[in-house]
Amino acid sequence: MNHDVKLRVQNIEKSFPGVKALDKIEFSVRKGTVHVLCGENGAGKSTLMKIINGIYQPDAGQIIIDGVEVHIKNPIQARQLGISMIFQELNYIPEMTLEESLFVGNWPLDKAKKIDWKEIRKRTLALLEKENLKYKPDTKLKDLTVSDIQMLEILKAISYNSEIIIMDEPTSAITNKEVEILFKKIFELKARGTAIIYISHKMDEIFRIADDITVFRDGKVIDSKPRESLDIETVIALMVGRKLGKDFPKIDVPIGEPVLSVKSLSGEKFKDITFDVKKGEIVGFAGLMGAGRTEVMRAIFGLDAIHSGDVLKNNHVVQIKSVKDSIGHKVVMLSEDRRRFGILPIRSVRENISITNLKKFIHKGKLHAKDEYEAVKYYCDKMNVKTPTYETNISSLSGGNQQKVMLAKWLITDPDVFIVDEPTRGIDVGAKHEIYKLISDLVTEGKSVIIVSSELPELIGMCDRIYVMAKGEIMGVLGKEDFTQENIMRLATGTTSNI
Amino acid sequence: MKNFLQKLKKSNLMGTFSIYFVLLALFLVSMLANENFATIGNLSNISRQIAVGTILAFGQTILIINGMLDLSSGSVLALAGVLSVDAYVKTGSLIMAFAVGIIVAVACNILNGLMVTKFKTPPFIATLAMMAMARGAALLYTNGQNIYQIGDYVIFGQGSLLGIPNPVWFLVAAMAVTWYLLKHTVFGRSVYAIGGNEEASNASGINVDRVKMKAYIINGIFVGIAGIIFMSRVNGGLPNGANGYEFKALTAAVIGGTSFSGGVGTASGTLAGAFIVGFLDNIMVLVGVNSYLQQIVRGAIIALAVIYDIYFKTTRKKNKAAKG
Amino acid sequence: MRKVLALLLVFVLAMGMLAGCSTGSDTATTAATTAAAGGETAETYRVAYIARAQADSFAAWLANAVMEEADKYENITVDVFDGQASDDIENGLIENAITNKYDAIIVQPNNGEAQRPYVEKSVAAGIVTITTNARISGIEGASSVDADPYLQAKVNADAAVEQIPQNAKVVVLLGPPGNFHADSRRESWQKEFFDKRPDVEIVGEEIANWNKDEAMNYMETWVQANDQIDAIIAMNDNMAAGALEVIKDNAKFNNILAYGVDGTAEACLLIKDGKLTSTSLQSAYALAEGLLDTSNKLLTGQETQIDIDIDCPLITLDNVDEYIEMHKKAGAIQ
Repeated sequence: MNHDVKLRVQNIEKSFPGVKALDKIEFSVRKGTVHVLCGENGAGKSTLMKIINGIYQPDAGQIIIDGVEVHIKNPIQARQLGISMIFQELNYIPEMTLEESLFVGNWPLDKAKKIDWKEIRKRTLALLEKENLKYKPDTKLKDLTVSDIQMLEILKAISYNSEIIIMDEPTSAITNKEVEILFKKIFELKARGTAIIYISHKMDEIFRIADDITVFRDGKVIDSKPRESLDIETVIALMVGRKLGKDFPKIDVPIGEPVLSVKSLSGEKFKDITFDVKKGEIVGFAGLMGAGRTEVMRAIFGLDAIHSGDVLKNNHVVQIKSVKDSIGHKVVMLSEDRRRFGILPIRSVRENISITNLKKFIHKGKLHAKDEYEAVKYYCDKMNVKTPTYETNISSLSGGNQQKVMLAKWLITDPDVFIVDEPTRGIDVGAKHEIYKLISDLVTEGKSVIIVSSELPELIGMCDRIYVMAKGEIMGVLGKEDFTQENIMRLATGTTSNI
Repeated sequence: MKNFLQKLKKSNLMGTFSIYFVLLALFLVSMLANENFATIGNLSNISRQIAVGTILAFGQTILIINGMLDLSSGSVLALAGVLSVDAYVKTGSLIMAFAVGIIVAVACNILNGLMVTKFKTPPFIATLAMMAMARGAALLYTNGQNIYQIGDYVIFGQGSLLGIPNPVWFLVAAMAVTWYLLKHTVFGRSVYAIGGNEEASNASGINVDRVKMKAYIINGIFVGIAGIIFMSRVNGGLPNGANGYEFKALTAAVIGGTSFSGGVGTASGTLAGAFIVGFLDNIMVLVGVNSYLQQIVRGAIIALAVIYDIYFKTTRKKNKAAKG
Repeated sequence: MRKVLALLLVFVLAMGMLAGCSTGSDTATTAATTAAAGGETAETYRVAYIARAQADSFAAWLANAVMEEADKYENITVDVFDGQASDDIENGLIENAITNKYDAIIVQPNNGEAQRPYVEKSVAAGIVTITTNARISGIEGASSVDADPYLQAKVNADAAVEQIPQNAKVVVLLGPPGNFHADSRRESWQKEFFDKRPDVEIVGEEIANWNKDEAMNYMETWVQANDQIDAIIAMNDNMAAGALEVIKDNAKFNNILAYGVDGTAEACLLIKDGKLTSTSLQSAYALAEGLLDTSNKLLTGQETQIDIDIDCPLITLDNVDEYIEMHKKAGAIQ
């Protein structure tokens, strides 16, 4: 197959006030290959992709497609040049149907300049058939899963005859099974000669699909090589610019009495859940997407209704009807969906942290600014949050730093039990490591942690025990000696056979 | 010129204080345009004239930051005002009249709050319904006729203390209360949080419904006070009064930088917004601008002030976001 | 197919809303006589009185007066409908009244020309049709009872020509532009006063929309800008009262002259206090009397078309007591 260079960028520079976001960037993608870009958040990958997609204009440098220099002024022009981008945060309109979304902004018109729905249906069916996908054209997007919508985005790119497809962390929100479907599709695209730029943090998948790997750091290309000449350790070292310590900095601490016990808990999406968490213990919850792990935790945290069963804190039954009750009993939860349930956009880092425990700073009915500032500073330092000031808008921080702020906002309530749901989703390696360190520190302080995660290495590396859930029930619990990916997956798929 | 603009954009000064620069510029231009503008008497007039609308605007500011609004404030003002006037005419007690005005307006806003929190009605619809009901109730109660001979009731709107008109005292008090609530209380912090992200606020342990209800009750207190001042100023109980005042209030809040997408706004911004409109109306009458032209100018300046404000704010945000 | 269904649904919803609106408006206030009339013979006539807006204080006064006056007629019951200051709603109400086969329809237009075709429909349906305050003129077969807004302003202007000093400075407060009464009254002041007194200077003229609070705001600003204001010329009493409210404690303007129109209770009290110079009465009672009398004559077939204007007497300090008495009887003041 012809692996000529499809897209090449040379000497790209881009500055924002006070920051040099990109410094003399050079790299190229060949036809029919996957070129992985990796680097910590803020390294400049996204800025470069936005330049290629026409959202930003470079200050200097050239973009060359098929040997011809192009100037991409906007995403529409990028699309005309055969460039499509699949964003990390999929923005879609829930009420739209699949076929509508495929043709959004690009509707075929009939002679009377009306939207030609028949034509849309015809083309949609043809496309679905050609790609061997079993969707119905009139399904609403709200009824699809994240991975379905991602597939739809790829379908859209195909329908535009895109020859360059940019994927920004496409696996950050989908299950392993779905990852396999995605990779199958990527291999198909490669076979057709499509050039794919793939942004990811996940080392195992990078090494599965990459033909070439380029590592970014601080707005510069650190290295760009074929996969064969790199290994995971090297890539991580290049990304962070320093050697990381042990993967999982878990320190063993003595485990005490049960702090939180749940007995026969049932709710809308789970039933008969019984488990406990002891002082100083890290308990994992594994399972496939939709196994009901998050739902159990939300109910314990007072966000969803409990139908029956008891929650015991220090062996006393407690009534938790709202988040406030839960905070009162020193049980807190970090949400998996940071954008929806986590951050308060447009508010400062300070306000995002203190929001959970404002009462603490009240003196005579007035918020005490100095106390608040000091508490915020203490936890930001502890979490190593990188922010210009505490008054900085949280939306302008990187994902990893936002996540650290979210952890800080719960630590400020001084919890006994900290439930963290997908704590490292979508954040870079350096920040991940810091979060693991923090979790380990928490248990050495005598607190307890529940980790809900889809990343098995993370659970295996951090936990003392792992409960495995499937279809709303606990399928089993594994002790440290039984921790293997196989054991977990066996339980997680115990009642089904789809993997 | 372009360079100058870019430099200005880079300095946070313009972004944070843009609306106050608009106000200052308008003040200076007006001062040059007419020698009567910058007199104590005239400025005191303007303050008195904008008092009612601005007190309503403080209520709106809290509500809009929280992601809600109140279309009923003009109508509820009229209902609370006429009932308050009537209470005075019947009992002769100023305290009674004041209490009636506040209680009626708060009651209407408790209904607003219930519709919004318990029955999940969108605030736009809930308060639109209240707008019609309250106006209808005011007209029904008075049979559509103005109440005259209200005697000493006029003290609320026409009296003065230490040489400063009473409406201005009320305005200052409302401003101080709003500022304090938004800046220094758990309630204020919750208001911003809910407006920014309601689900995240709930997941952070904030009782969202209770905060919303409180916001409407505080709005009710402001509406009640505004109603009392209004009726007192016009020396009568006008069931048809303050028509469209809800939009005056919304205008002041929005010019002052309060965002309809929620989570953004300040008491001082709203005050600046109200003064921008007040200065503008005043200088045009002083200079004698054609009445029809006035409306065009008023609309244009509102649009310009908001565009200017957004221009400086958004570019600054973009620059910051790009660093991440 | 889906698009067709969607369109159909939208249509059905729209119809539903229209129906909802019209039934809403049908809940009319019925005069006290209805109960009595219920048991009576077929000699009872049903009259629909369609008011411009119950929220307009003069319109509400007139509607109240019509209902009181109707009590005096054993053979007439009046239902009052509220046009809510909207041409659309008012036109719909006229159509409904035609459909409901009222024996007579009285229309107080929101905007004469907008209601004209509907009033013509009513005439064509053979229904006794009367327009009032303001009349819609030139409709064959329709009757009218009105006060002449030109004349209302003229009686004041005539007095003002004599009273306002040489080289006086005056301010003018206008009603909403496009309103028949607002425009006619201003025109009258122009022809009967300003054209005759070129020495008088207008130092301020603004639209205060009949409103007291808006008039106050303008007057406050004028007082700042002008050391000398000799007269307030307002197109209605509300606005005159608003302007006077501003200067009531200001010694500099003790001798200011002020003119209004309508003869409201408040205006009469202001004349009594020596604040307002004069106003002319647009008496809702007189209009109501004329309307019921006209209705009765037309319904009983005594006459086929009647066009009358009620008087618009000038109220000054000399005769104000009799009008205060009138308002006291009506319960507007004590």
